Amino acid sequence: MRRVIILISILFCCSSAFSQKKKVRFDNDTLSEIVITSTRTATQLGNVTVPYQIINKKNIEQSGSLRLKDILQEQTGLYITNGFGAGVQMQGLNPDYTIILLNGEPLVGRTAGVLDVNRISISNIKRIEIVKGPSSSLYGSEAMAGVINIITDTSCKKSIETGFRYGFGNPDKGWILPLNNDVFNNLDFNLNISTTIKKTGLQYSGNAYYLDGISYRPFSTIKVPQPIWRFTNQFSLHHPFGSKTKFDLTIRDGYDYIKQEFAVANNGSTSSSYGREANHDININPVLTHQFNSSIKSALRLYATIYNGSQILHFTDKPDSAYTDQFKQHFYRVENQTDIQLKKTRLTIGAGYSIDEAQSTRYDNIENKKQNNIQFVYAQQEWNPYKKLILITGVRYDHNKLFAAALSPKFSFRYKFNKSISILGSIGRGFKAPDFRQLYLNFTNNAAGGYSVFGAVDAVKIINEMQAQGLISEIKEDFNRLTSLQPEFSTGINLGTSLSIGNKTKININLFRNDIESLIDVRQIATKSNGAQIFSYINVKNAYTEGLEIECKFKLNKQIDFSTGYQYLATADKEDLQNIKAGKVYTRDPDGTSRLLNKSEYTGLPNRSKHMGNFKINYEPTTKFYSTVRFTYRSKWYIADSDGNGLYNSNDESADGFVLINASAGFTINKQMKFYGGIDNMLNHQDANYLPNLQGRMIYMGINFKLK
Amino acid sequence: MKTILATAAIASALIFSACKKDTPTPVTPVDPNAFNVSVNGKIVTVKNLPADTILGIGAMGPYGAGKYSFFSLETNSKISSSDSATSNWDLAFAGNTIRVNNVTSGPGNGGAFVYTGTFDGISQVPADSTFRVDNAPVSYAITKGSSKGWYTYDGPNNLITATPGRVLVIRTASGKYAKVEILNYYKGGVTPATTATDSIKSFDSRYYTFRYTYQSNGSTTF
Repeated sequence: MRRVIILISILFCCSSAFSQKKKVRFDNDTLSEIVITSTRTATQLGNVTVPYQIINKKNIEQSGSLRLKDILQEQTGLYITNGFGAGVQMQGLNPDYTIILLNGEPLVGRTAGVLDVNRISISNIKRIEIVKGPSSSLYGSEAMAGVINIITDTSCKKSIETGFRYGFGNPDKGWILPLNNDVFNNLDFNLNISTTIKKTGLQYSGNAYYLDGISYRPFSTIKVPQPIWRFTNQFSLHHPFGSKTKFDLTIRDGYDYIKQEFAVANNGSTSSSYGREANHDININPVLTHQFNSSIKSALRLYATIYNGSQILHFTDKPDSAYTDQFKQHFYRVENQTDIQLKKTRLTIGAGYSIDEAQSTRYDNIENKKQNNIQFVYAQQEWNPYKKLILITGVRYDHNKLFAAALSPKFSFRYKFNKSISILGSIGRGFKAPDFRQLYLNFTNNAAGGYSVFGAVDAVKIINEMQAQGLISEIKEDFNRLTSLQPEFSTGINLGTSLSIGNKTKININLFRNDIESLIDVRQIATKSNGAQIFSYINVKNAYTEGLEIECKFKLNKQIDFSTGYQYLATADKEDLQNIKAGKVYTRDPDGTSRLLNKSEYTGLPNRSKHMGNFKINYEPTTKFYSTVRFTYRSKWYIADSDGNGLYNSNDESADGFVLINASAGFTINKQMKFYGGIDNMLNHQDANYLPNLQGRMIYMGINFKLK
Repeated sequence: MKTILATAAIASALIFSACKKDTPTPVTPVDPNAFNVSVNGKIVTVKNLPADTILGIGAMGPYGAGKYSFFSLETNSKISSSDSATSNWDLAFAGNTIRVNNVTSGPGNGGAFVYTGTFDGISQVPADSTFRVDNAPVSYAITKGSSKGWYTYDGPNNLITATPGRVLVIRTASGKYAKVEILNYYKGGVTPATTATDSIKSFDSRYYTFRYTYQSNGSTTF
């Protein structure tokens, strides 16, 4: 049914494009609109050679979204993962493989490879740029699936703006609203002050967010999600030295505080604990830009970021002892980027040095600082031999202390047949360096079975010591494959077309394929004498993800526009495919008997939806009023290998697909005051097992006040 | 989920009405969690054979009484543990360990190996087969360890699954042959959900559901 809706909307969108004759233009489709992330230089949309999406301030404001997760989950092809926060899966690759940038510099502080996009407030964001396909030729490690670049608003126009939003919901009661204890509250407050004193632009932006704990599991003492406070402060300074040199400074400080109450079943006895999780990150980014002459521009960028995440739990029955988990990461970078504009060629060259440091209780010793140093150089040539053709060649070399170097080339092109039809394609290498967790993790889960995970650097040493003490009952074959970890590499191909039909319809179609080599997988390497398993990280897997993405925008008239998107995704572990082909893989029927697995039953990598789609309607009758309704669909995804054959097939445990409907509307009274409201998750979809962080239906209203 | 429930409801209604026509006697509901042996032609199915079930959870994790359950493939029945030193039993179960009646385990002529393939697919003992024997506690005829013998252990989810496509080829205490397929390790023949509590996962475990075909004439064909 849902698929039908999506299909119909795509068809409707495309077919009606031909029938409409009124002249209406996209507001945002002006020549001045640019994308930065695809080439690290301002590029007009019509010249971009890779698949991209832009979410502008207007889209963000009209959606009523507060956190980065809210807005990303409505974008075509982006899948929000659960576990260790909300991660972004792009082109079917795990959150580890998408780099998330704040004004061009990477955010750090990932847990199990996931950077929680709920950490980021979007109250002061000018634009979010999403570039798909391997981008390591410009950004290095992590940019294997793509790049999300959050660009904050640092316009420094004289103004004071403040806003307050209140939301509430009652997940158990549906639409009826007896205001009992089950109601959860959500508050958001923001303040933006900007001014220019003499020539110096100054801006402050602050945001405070609160969300009540919600208990979806009946009779559970565990609140999911737990009461959360989030605070963001950002300060920007912009100062020109003459007409050719300028200095920009951005300082951002984010702090999250999550109250926790747990009931942990540890070896049969349930112990209740209470405590908190606190995550603090600071980003400091001074940039000095100089325009040497009309063709040479150079920027010196410094960046420092610190992430400190900690969790402390006290046990109700043992108030003296506490469980502490801490993870600190420091990342420093100095980088120069120079752009040279020649007649038909634009050159971008850059070089830099990064220091990445981490300390954690999850490693052998919190005092023991782990460090990696990275030197990198990159170059890119954008060649415009004649008007219709753009060719971009780029390469980046990352050398580092801890593991093998990476060379990441990329080639892309765009050919414009005419004003309305372009084809674009790219082929590039992506890589992701092993992270500190994969190298140094030293984790034993005493609550669930007592299994351990050791990072690749220490695993051999730890297991040898345990064996000497007689604590090991079995060494697995994979133990002998434990060597120094290598980066994971991928080759990504994107091929697509961009069509404009009249002035009202735009269609983007993109086919993608990512072949990933030496994927790091968690493998069992030994068994303890009590039967518990020991895992470590090994470069073993070869996998691919491939699919089709379609985006379609259609402006019906001056008041109404539609947009819709769809992604089809197929993935596989290549070894699984070989084993199925060789007739080595069996499954079990519901009656318990086993038989050979058919290739058609194989579902690829877990935690991926084959079909994802979205549909949006915008209605804006006057400049004073707007309303939007957004549908997001995700088909079912696989969770666990329940039949024990080592791969994921249609007999295995899966989570049901779902539809999210979010709606919002707002109006401005005069230019200074805006009222708005909306409903998130109108269908009140909840899934305590597989989507524990999805809030039930929430109704909200807010007010914004602006003084110029 | 709803469709599954609806299908199940319709299916059970059909079965129930069918039963009414054929058999006038009311069907006594079988407790799905009770030990039960049923024979259907050559195939015998055993449900819920307890194998040192969990008594409690201590500091070292879940524990049982440490006693084996003995089973005879010849008589399709449980054998009293007082007969453990006789050749009356063919297989003994405790936790995920399965013993055969030979050498360190008993006085019989038992042996076994794990065959990769389907239960229906193995119509006779392959000519080049080597039967292994128990050498407890170092090694067992039916290899212990995840993905090595009959089961796969998923540590992070703390669940044991009978690996599909594994058949235990057994030489009984008296030297006859049988093929055995373990179907499930949990009470009622249903593996708990990954999201079930560790307590459910422990207390519901160690209940074997398996099927077998026993060749009484001593030949190697099933």
